Amino acid sequence: MIAHSATDSPAAPFVHRWDPRMKLIGLLLLAFTFSFVTNPRVLPVMIALTLVVVAVSRYPLNLLLRRLRYPSLVILGLIALLPFISGFTPLVEWGGLTITREGLQAAILVATRFFCIVTLAAVLLGTTPLLRTITAMQALGLPSIMADMTLLVIRYLEVLSADLRRMRIAMRLRGHAEQRRPWRNLPTLAWLTGSLILRGYERSQGVYNAMRLRGYGHAPIRQSEFTANRKDLLALAGICALSGILIWLELAL
Amino acid sequence: MSQTTSPAIALNELCFSYPDKPHVLDHLDLHIAPGERVGLIGPNGAGKTTLFLLISGILKPTSGKILVHDKNVVSGTFNPQVTLVFQKSDDQLFCPSVWEDVAFGPRSMGLSEDQVARRVQNVLTIVGAQELAQRPVHHLSEGEKRIVAIAGALAMHPQVMIYDEPSAGLDIRTRRRLIGLLKQSDQTLLIASHDLELVLEVCTRVVLLDQGRIVADGPTKTILNDEDLMIAHGQEKPHSLIPHALPHNH
Repeated sequence: MIAHSATDSPAAPFVHRWDPRMKLIGLLLLAFTFSFVTNPRVLPVMIALTLVVVAVSRYPLNLLLRRLRYPSLVILGLIALLPFISGFTPLVEWGGLTITREGLQAAILVATRFFCIVTLAAVLLGTTPLLRTITAMQALGLPSIMADMTLLVIRYLEVLSADLRRMRIAMRLRGHAEQRRPWRNLPTLAWLTGSLILRGYERSQGVYNAMRLRGYGHAPIRQSEFTANRKDLLALAGICALSGILIWLELAL
Repeated sequence: MSQTTSPAIALNELCFSYPDKPHVLDHLDLHIAPGERVGLIGPNGAGKTTLFLLISGILKPTSGKILVHDKNVVSGTFNPQVTLVFQKSDDQLFCPSVWEDVAFGPRSMGLSEDQVARRVQNVLTIVGAQELAQRPVHHLSEGEKRIVAIAGALAMHPQVMIYDEPSAGLDIRTRRRLIGLLKQSDQTLLIASHDLELVLEVCTRVVLLDQGRIVADGPTKTILNDEDLMIAHGQEKPHSLIPHALPHNH
């Protein structure tokens, strides 16, 4: 669950070493600014800005493409219909289908905004270990209980998926064939799910006991472990300035 | 052990029942001296884990008293003097990374970050797991998890350490490493195990629990050597205590 390309060694690019709190604020600021853009002439600036962030972070391209794979499927499914169902100025007519200028513009706008935001999120979050990102969220005011729940989900998701893997192997070894006559599988899948829920519940009791034994809830509030230096603040100021320029372009062009 | 020092653990007329299972523990009386290493043996369902949860303050006795170093154990309170190493390490290691998990107890005790770091470093060195410090817990092997779980308990500098089936699921090498750790330990140890060879090697005293009652209490070799007693309570005399007419290779 640790980000694959995250490293905070002094030799790593600045984006990796940037104070995660500043990084989160910067990401949110850019995401909101990008979603504010509706002017097609501002889109190239947005794309250029995103590519610059990707380039300076030296985030592995193959990893980025892998991260974008599933979100892309969702958004492409959504925007594929836009040129056909929205707008009124015909651009291309073929058979009974008409592609409209406004629909195409809307699809390009939505797709560009989406890819720019998701790419920035993948790069900025992927260059900080997940645990550090959650700690940074906590330092920015995320309630402790929510941070603890997130961490526990991350920790036990792997344990439960290992349980599920073992149970499925045990089922197969005793002749269970998945996806052949799926309706016949339903009772077995229901038992499997029920067992997993029960195991999860029992495990949660054990985990809670272990947490109580080691004083969960007794720790004094820790000082934030993050300190923003001049470079961190300057980088955030730069992001603020870029957001301002984008908004100005949006209004002026 | 001197009889004048106050016991590390004292159970007086301890009884416990679950709502759906009465008399899980039935009038237990037990005194364990500081620094003693006691093995708790008995068949499954004898009440060993329940007893551990009571001594740790997780469960509340139905009646009777539990004293740890002369202090009454109050259920629901945080008592870093006593720690329990769970049978299932995954239950105990709830933090995402090894360092964070070992640091959890000391942080709960209100130590400064410097003190926490020193303790974590120190216990990871003691258990020989320094190289695991930054690893995510879910990437550890079962043996590594057990060692880290012990480190997490040791980091609290407890006076009493309770182990529930510490060698279950471990390979030979990790089991040997665990035995070494247990033998080096200067805390009071209470170890529940079906691994009677481990009990024989580590513990100086054994308590045999069956159906919620203490049925035998004495020196390890004496109890484990008593074949009739062991069989009567679902146990087996350890192989190493069986006299061999001829030397053999197993």
